[in-house]
Amino acid sequence: MSYAYLFKYIIIGDTGVGKSCLLLQFTDKRFQPVHDLTIGVEFGARMINIENKAIKLQIWDTAGQESFRSITRSYYRGAAGALLVYDITRRETFNHLASWLEDARQHANSNMTIMLIGNKSDLQHRRAVSTEEGEQFAKENGLIFMETSAKTAHNVEEAFINTAGSIYKKIEDGVFDVSNESYGIKVGYGSGGGAGAGLGRSDAQASRSACCS
Amino acid sequence: MCSAELFLNATCVASSEELKIYKKRSFEAQRQSTQHAAMASAESSGEQASSGPTGTYEVVYIKDNVSVHPSPLANERISGRLKLIKQGQSVFLTWIPYNQSGIADDSGLILSPSEGAPVTPPQAPGRKDKDRNLYTIRAVSLSEIRSIRRHTPTLGWNYIIVVLTTGLAFPPLYFHNGGVKEFLGVLKEHALLVRSAEDANVYLVNDIQDPLQRSLTSLDLPEAVTPVRELEPLEEERVSAQEGPDEGGSALQPLVVSRRGPEGGVLDRLPQKHVDPLRDASIHILTQFSKVTRFVRDATTQLSGQNDRPLARSGMLGLPERAPVPPPVAPAVQRQPSAGLGEALPGRGAGDAGAGSRMEEDKDEPELSSLGAFELVDGLEEESPALVWGRPRPPPLGAEEWATFLDSEGRVSDPAGLRKRVFHGGVEPDMRREVWKFLLGYFPYESTRAERKALQANKAKEYEVLKGQWQSVSEDQAKKFAKFRERKSRVDKDVVRTDRTLPFYAGDDNPNVEALRSILITYSFYNFDLGYCQGMSDLLSPILYVMDDEVDAFWCFAALMERMASNFHRDQNGMHSQLLSLRKLVKLLDPPLDDYFRQVDCLNYFFCFRWILIHFKREFEYDNVLRLWEVLWSRYLSDHFHLYVCVAVLKRHRRKIMDEQMEFDTLLKFINDLSGRIELEGTLRDAEALCRYAGDAGVACMPPAPPPTDETQIEGPEG
Repeated sequence: MSYAYLFKYIIIGDTGVGKSCLLLQFTDKRFQPVHDLTIGVEFGARMINIENKAIKLQIWDTAGQESFRSITRSYYRGAAGALLVYDITRRETFNHLASWLEDARQHANSNMTIMLIGNKSDLQHRRAVSTEEGEQFAKENGLIFMETSAKTAHNVEEAFINTAGSIYKKIEDGVFDVSNESYGIKVGYGSGGGAGAGLGRSDAQASRSACCS
Repeated sequence: MCSAELFLNATCVASSEELKIYKKRSFEAQRQSTQHAAMASAESSGEQASSGPTGTYEVVYIKDNVSVHPSPLANERISGRLKLIKQGQSVFLTWIPYNQSGIADDSGLILSPSEGAPVTPPQAPGRKDKDRNLYTIRAVSLSEIRSIRRHTPTLGWNYIIVVLTTGLAFPPLYFHNGGVKEFLGVLKEHALLVRSAEDANVYLVNDIQDPLQRSLTSLDLPEAVTPVRELEPLEEERVSAQEGPDEGGSALQPLVVSRRGPEGGVLDRLPQKHVDPLRDASIHILTQFSKVTRFVRDATTQLSGQNDRPLARSGMLGLPERAPVPPPVAPAVQRQPSAGLGEALPGRGAGDAGAGSRMEEDKDEPELSSLGAFELVDGLEEESPALVWGRPRPPPLGAEEWATFLDSEGRVSDPAGLRKRVFHGGVEPDMRREVWKFLLGYFPYESTRAERKALQANKAKEYEVLKGQWQSVSEDQAKKFAKFRERKSRVDKDVVRTDRTLPFYAGDDNPNVEALRSILITYSFYNFDLGYCQGMSDLLSPILYVMDDEVDAFWCFAALMERMASNFHRDQNGMHSQLLSLRKLVKLLDPPLDDYFRQVDCLNYFFCFRWILIHFKREFEYDNVLRLWEVLWSRYLSDHFHLYVCVAVLKRHRRKIMDEQMEFDTLLKFINDLSGRIELEGTLRDAEALCRYAGDAGVACMPPAPPPTDETQIEGPEG
């Protein structure tokens, strides 16, 4: 399938907050309680529509453990969007947000759109971080905020799509030079996008396999 | 079923041993025997066209007295019959040696081992018999042949060298009755045969009719050292012959006749049509390696670990670690300009075909001495001919053979021999529980059975004490013990995310998951400085699965961690030093790829992070992980053999990586997506070849011994 733009996302946050489950819910629309913990990085992709433009999201799901951070940081490079995830039932995952944010600010491009996500909203009875606290943190740091449940799929679509909407708006506003891939945006074929000037190779492949074979 | 399989099934250019291999295949026995009978009659009635349930074949060329010369000694020559056989649109080349009584084994000997005498007496397989089996060329499709080089020495017999698209070459085939020209003439009728622009004696073979497709397909050629698959059944034959005709070989791998490459497509094996110095690197490695294999192939049980660095005296010796490492292959390419198409040097036997000076060299070589064979490898200057030959891997170590490694009191009398054996063939699943304890260092090799029993009893007590330490932490105490709570909760989170799709770990309240948890928490108390880190559960899972015992698994895991702890140091120093070593190795073994990674700013090798952290645990099916790990743990050729495995995998995909100009993102995704698609045995053979080839220059690339854990390594809090 052709697309107008490709956006690279990364998902970051402490181990066990549900990063991989969010990705799976978004790409496969299912919740898999039994899955292997992420070592290094995993990938997912899905097409979405923003203002009738096909957008491909390529999502990098990173390992959360602190000791892998020196490696994880390298994945920030060239990401247009980031989902910064904490677990509303575990206070410490919220407490670590500042350190994640610092990493992201330091190693990603400054125009990266960051969505703060309080995951596991289905576990209200075990909530340890209030919605207001999440909102407050987001406001202070200029992030979009949302509470989600990868298990029930609540707000999962919205989280990914709203982030894309925000990136798209930045493109329209001329914030990004889309021919510069370091912003995590690639221009694709068709659907009213650019002429393919910034088409990345992996996506050249993807397009090829989708439309020519 | 691919065409090669059809061919084999239908025609079986068979010796009795070959038949035995066929028997192992999963075809219905009934159908098989019908076909063999049909073939038998076809073969005996003059080898003309035959038709069977799976199609027709036609022998389009037959030439007797075509020989392989494994050594300069006339009495070691192996004569046989060269044939071209056509089935459907495909043409296959075979060379089958005559048996001891001088009868061509392919002349209709269609008896299963139980029905007739095997060609080789099982009690005393002579060297020549082994060689005969080893050198047999069966059913190589012309589409797999890249080139044929014709040699017409002024003295001696003319010969040809067949080079496969994989870069591998068969040993020279000497036409004792002449007729190379006629052979090429017949070949020309069945394949596109083009004389190389670089060397008029090189004929490029290609049976693909569409030139466009041909040029496209050269892109995906596997570049790495890819040994010939035919060798696997040959090795099986050899082993079977030694073990006697009753060995059904049920544990052996099925005969690999599918001609499909690791990438799974016809496209992968089409001829490369351009001079490619990169390809020559592989060829050269094979050339060197083959000299090693000349003796290694026999040496499964003969050699101890004394020759761990067989290529130590290769041209790369003595380089200071920091000095720029010269590309090892470049000099060879310069010296052998005619080798531009990956042509191999003529076989060692070329010496007796008339090249006087070479003959002298060959004479000096202690023919049957392993060290002698290694000496020959010495120096890339060495112009002496070489066989280019992949090394077959023997079947895994079984119970009977394991018993032979133990003395009467149960000591492992030859640890080096054992490690070597495991390195080459692995261990049968049932034997892992015992053998792994030695490989990992839980059981000392020199311990007696009685000592081990006592050791286990002590270790069981010790484990209970360690486990009791954290189990006895009260709720109140835990409230004031953040580090403990944090560790425990991390382990709790991870054990339920470790291999849960395996039946062994599946389901709610699985006791094995509980054992995994107990071991990891206990370990984080046993080695409090290191603690728990993600990746450890991946390393423990197979160990617990094999041991099926919490105590043994704990101590095996603790022993493994003695070697791998630095992977989990908080500052990641162990990982970074291994990634750096990998970079050095690629620079040594594949300079163009190293250049490429430099261009695209990928020299940190982060894309190999997962491979190294958990030793390919996520890249292979579980069973193959077990096999790979025991090979790594044998520490036979290198303590860091996994790094050579990394290089081997990268080499297999180097062309794709460079052609598609993968950069950090695309490369990382590509490497990630290789998971589950890496062929293990071939990769191990490649890694072995690379390791041997790298020799001391490779050793110089290796990471330093991990420093003792000190305070800088102590794992910190999560956030």
